[in-house]
Amino acid sequence: MKRREFLRRLGVGSLAAMGFSRFALAQARPVKLAALLPLTGPFAFAGNAGREGFVDGVDYVNEVLGGIAGRKLELIVEDTGYDVAKGTAAFNRVLSRERPDELLFVYGDSTGLSKALAPEIARIGLPYSATSFANELADPEKYPTIFVFGPTYNDMMEALLRQIRLQKGKARIALVYSNTEFGRDPIPYVKERAKALGMEVVHEEVTPPAFTDATPVVLNLRRANPDFVLLQGYALSAEPLILRAAREQGLRAQFMGTYYSAELVLIQRAGPAAEGFTVTYHNPYWYDTLVPAVDEMRKFRQRKGRDSSYRPTYYMGSLAVALGVAEAMRRAAQAGKLTRAGVVEYLEKIGDYNAMGLVRGYQFVNHRIPYTKLYRASVKDGRFNAITDWLKLA
Amino acid sequence: MADLLPYLIGGLANGALYSLLALGFVLVYRATSVVNFAIGEFLLVGAYLTYTFALLLPLPLALLAALPLAFLFGVLVERGFVRPLLGRNVVAVIMATIGLAAALDGGVQLLWGPDLKYLPGSLPDLGFEAGGVYVSSRAVWNLLLALPLGLGLLWLLRKSRYGVLVRAISEREVAALALGIPTARILAGVWGVSALLATLAGALLAAASGVGHNLVFFGLKVFPVAILGGLDAVGGALAAGFLLGVLEAYLPGFTEALPFVVVLLVLLVRPYGLFGERQIERV
Repeated sequence: MKRREFLRRLGVGSLAAMGFSRFALAQARPVKLAALLPLTGPFAFAGNAGREGFVDGVDYVNEVLGGIAGRKLELIVEDTGYDVAKGTAAFNRVLSRERPDELLFVYGDSTGLSKALAPEIARIGLPYSATSFANELADPEKYPTIFVFGPTYNDMMEALLRQIRLQKGKARIALVYSNTEFGRDPIPYVKERAKALGMEVVHEEVTPPAFTDATPVVLNLRRANPDFVLLQGYALSAEPLILRAAREQGLRAQFMGTYYSAELVLIQRAGPAAEGFTVTYHNPYWYDTLVPAVDEMRKFRQRKGRDSSYRPTYYMGSLAVALGVAEAMRRAAQAGKLTRAGVVEYLEKIGDYNAMGLVRGYQFVNHRIPYTKLYRASVKDGRFNAITDWLKLA
Repeated sequence: MADLLPYLIGGLANGALYSLLALGFVLVYRATSVVNFAIGEFLLVGAYLTYTFALLLPLPLALLAALPLAFLFGVLVERGFVRPLLGRNVVAVIMATIGLAAALDGGVQLLWGPDLKYLPGSLPDLGFEAGGVYVSSRAVWNLLLALPLGLGLLWLLRKSRYGVLVRAISEREVAALALGIPTARILAGVWGVSALLATLAGALLAAASGVGHNLVFFGLKVFPVAILGGLDAVGGALAAGFLLGVLEAYLPGFTEALPFVVVLLVLLVRPYGLFGERQIERV
């Protein structure tokens, strides 16, 4: 080969190689999902369990389901410390660092943070969900890219009120809730709905999100003498205290709570006082081994050498979000629409998918999944047992 | 009146814990002029220490085992963080205790993990009913431990040799040194006692509501309690703790704002707190 011919071939070869490597790189570019979670602070227990759910979900998608149409799904995790300012900073950090065509979904933390970020999320068309089930977020007209992966707090209260009506027609109910966005969110709805159902709201107690002595709260309840007490906005910080104080003070009312009270640690902390505590919950528990997802994830964790003992509800919730989002991404990719808008479009179209039973089905109605079950605490079993099948709430 | 009595008992029980914590806080301030912003974390560490021992021992024994370790922890904090900064700008010491708080927060999560814990055992049930009023076991234990301990500590400070030495150091540290008083050892002891009191409060809280990071927020209440009682008044801390506990019990919806509103109102009338000494600086 002549020298000139050799150089020409070398040049062409190099250019081709560069082109191919770029092409290969473009193919290999990951699709990213960011989770802004409270890894430190008062809700670190929930944030870390949630992180585990996302890690497992993303690993499962990459290793078992083959990624997102051949592209790797990458998880970005940032700590919010359950603080709106820190969470906003983390959100801005992730958005400024990541390419819009790669970062296709953000999962945030808390009602406060989500409400604060919602207008910006809507402006940039970013698919988003959060630990929050606030009613305001499930509004596709106002926030077309925000999804609530479960029933809203209003829906959860609706389920509890229906159960109350079944047990006692003209019930006297009391509301105990924290003075936070999380606590206040469903209260106007409950009051209105209870009235419509012929119930009487006999007492309303607004408290800080965490306190150390529930005696005054329970004494106020005792004076009001309700049949049912609905708790909202605590995430295990106060429920065990209230239940124990209620038992001590001889309050006979039945206590009920929503998703964030549905964790086994409540039974462990409250002891016998937890008996009969009724909650809404919309994913399977880790001990529901008949659900294929639970069995599959137990085996997956064992294969990965990860602890396969009880995983909390926050883990199950995050896992359900990760698998649901990945499915929407996969379908969007198959349709050649793997963009933020494409993910939103396909999240609205995956009603036939249920992530091996992690949810009843991703059937979003007004961008929330309005189905839940009711569970009742059994101290003897040390767990919550389902007392209803799926309740349709919209 | 019978309706109001349970509120009073609940308030006194909660106030007992405020008092314990504030006592340790004021003791340190009085002896070393250091505002310990890590007092909530002292409580947190104490609760986790008790939890760890409770995994192996019945709760009363676990508490007894945790207390000496807590004392040692307080001494180590004084040696490691506070003593090197004594004599420096007060802001430097304040920043050090804020840094210590952050380090302890992180350290606790690293050591014990983020999960909520609950104590495997419980303190013997001392709850009883009298005249139609139920007094919870928690209230009995809080009062039974905090009240004698607080009053005993006050007596020790007033009457014992150790107490006189602490007061001497707090009055004039240099003069105390010149008189051959082992200042360093006594100040370390004061920090140890402060950590011990915080641990007792943390253990009693943990027995009632489990162990988790949110216990730190209880520690924040120490500031209004200490200011209300008077930063330099050890007895004031004891009284203010009970006072605030009772006020909170009657107004449970306002427990976040109430302590600070009360402090504001009191400071308008008595800028040195309810029991603090009026200080006049001549220039």
